[in-house]
Amino acid sequence: MLKNLPRTLALSGTALFLLYPLWGLAAPIGHWRWGAAGVSSALATSFALTGVALAIVVAVGTPLAFSLRGAPPAARLSFEAVVLLSVLMPPLALGLLLALAFGPATALGDLLLHLGIPTSNDPVAFVVTQVYASLGYYLLGAQAAFEAVPRELEQSAALLGLAPREVLWRITLPLARLGLAAALSLAWVRALGEFGAIMVTAYYPHGIPVQLWVDLQDQGLPAVLPLLLVFLLTALPLPWALRILVRVRGHA
Amino acid sequence: MLDCRVQKRRRAYEVAVDIVAGGERVALFGPSGSGKSTVLACLAGLETPDAGHIRCDGLRWFPPPLALHRRSVGYLSQREALFPHLPVSENVQFSLDAAARVRERAWIAEMRGRLDLDGLWHTRPHHLSGGQARRVALARTLCRRPRLVLLDEPFAGLDRPLARDLVRILKDWQERLGFLLLAVDHDPSVLEGLCPRVVAMENGRVVQQGSWAELRRRPATPTLRALLDLDP
Repeated sequence: MLKNLPRTLALSGTALFLLYPLWGLAAPIGHWRWGAAGVSSALATSFALTGVALAIVVAVGTPLAFSLRGAPPAARLSFEAVVLLSVLMPPLALGLLLALAFGPATALGDLLLHLGIPTSNDPVAFVVTQVYASLGYYLLGAQAAFEAVPRELEQSAALLGLAPREVLWRITLPLARLGLAAALSLAWVRALGEFGAIMVTAYYPHGIPVQLWVDLQDQGLPAVLPLLLVFLLTALPLPWALRILVRVRGHA
Repeated sequence: MLDCRVQKRRRAYEVAVDIVAGGERVALFGPSGSGKSTVLACLAGLETPDAGHIRCDGLRWFPPPLALHRRSVGYLSQREALFPHLPVSENVQFSLDAAARVRERAWIAEMRGRLDLDGLWHTRPHHLSGGQARRVALARTLCRRPRLVLLDEPFAGLDRPLARDLVRILKDWQERLGFLLLAVDHDPSVLEGLCPRVVAMENGRVVQQGSWAELRRRPATPTLRALLDLDP
């Protein structure tokens, strides 16, 4: 018992340190102002557009991550280096680069303008920015999930007469599903919480992070906290539970 | 009928064997590293031969290499590779669609009974002991009645009574179903009880074949003599 005391104290202390910011919700700052203008529209914007962005991320990222298993090592390493670059990019820098690369100063931006496709302050720009911000996280997680499926199980299934597509559906995807869910949860948090890049590329329509910033500037903390609470309650539980489930099942 | 000539280069040697066999039980016997498992892997499609040919029941498996799922092969090694997300029942019947499960009901029931799987039927693989997992893997291998059954050290790590039981069951089913069984092991004691015919290999080559009695009477090499525990 005494032997474990230092570890127990260290774990408890760190856990308290990490959880302490939530105590901010109880800070005595006066009465919260519920029903501020723009809250419901920010919630709708964030959840609807994040849903679209994640649908794109999953549709593109899942087959890509799966196909990486069979790619030559050099090609895989090169691709992973590019993906890492997108993951490590500071959000504000990503926003500025996206605004420049898709802006009227480039040939692509000019073409998109001519085609009537808006590249800033529009739901399209919002979704594109979210995809850029979250695709790398999903790809890395999905790739790890597929890599964790033992090849010999897939070979066994093939030797039992299953065609490659059936092996994918009956062996690979079921065994990778928790890892894929964990990757999706990371991408969800990353896309929904994106602020720096979205501020630059899609200030309008306001999503939750931008709305929080605007409310903080214009009305102060009492107006921000209700939306912040709703944001936390809607954004965190699902990915948090998924990651816990992955840990539990992983050790079952 | 299996007709195979397999050539496969390895780092230290080249495997080159000819095997022609019908619905019988044949042991591939030899020291570790003699190329026995390579031959089985080429037959199963897990490895591609560098040259040669493989035909089974009139169908060409190589060249070009036929996809794994198109070969009527059952492959069992000491690594059971059971599907961890499926209970024993689903593992065993994995290769059967709904219609085949109905059609093969009697066969599945027989396997459940003889391999003592009834009490394990709804269990997940991670709750099985090594011997139980091997029995499940054997049932899964034979469930769709493959024409060629490849056993790569299938009794390794099992206690003697269980190995003897499995040998008896395998012999019965092979004689009744008529599949060709090729078994690999470096321990002659179990193989001898299972397979009347033996193909002895060394350094990637077949050095002798015939019955176990012939092999014991006149082993072709000192290594075989040592493996069979015969006096020099």
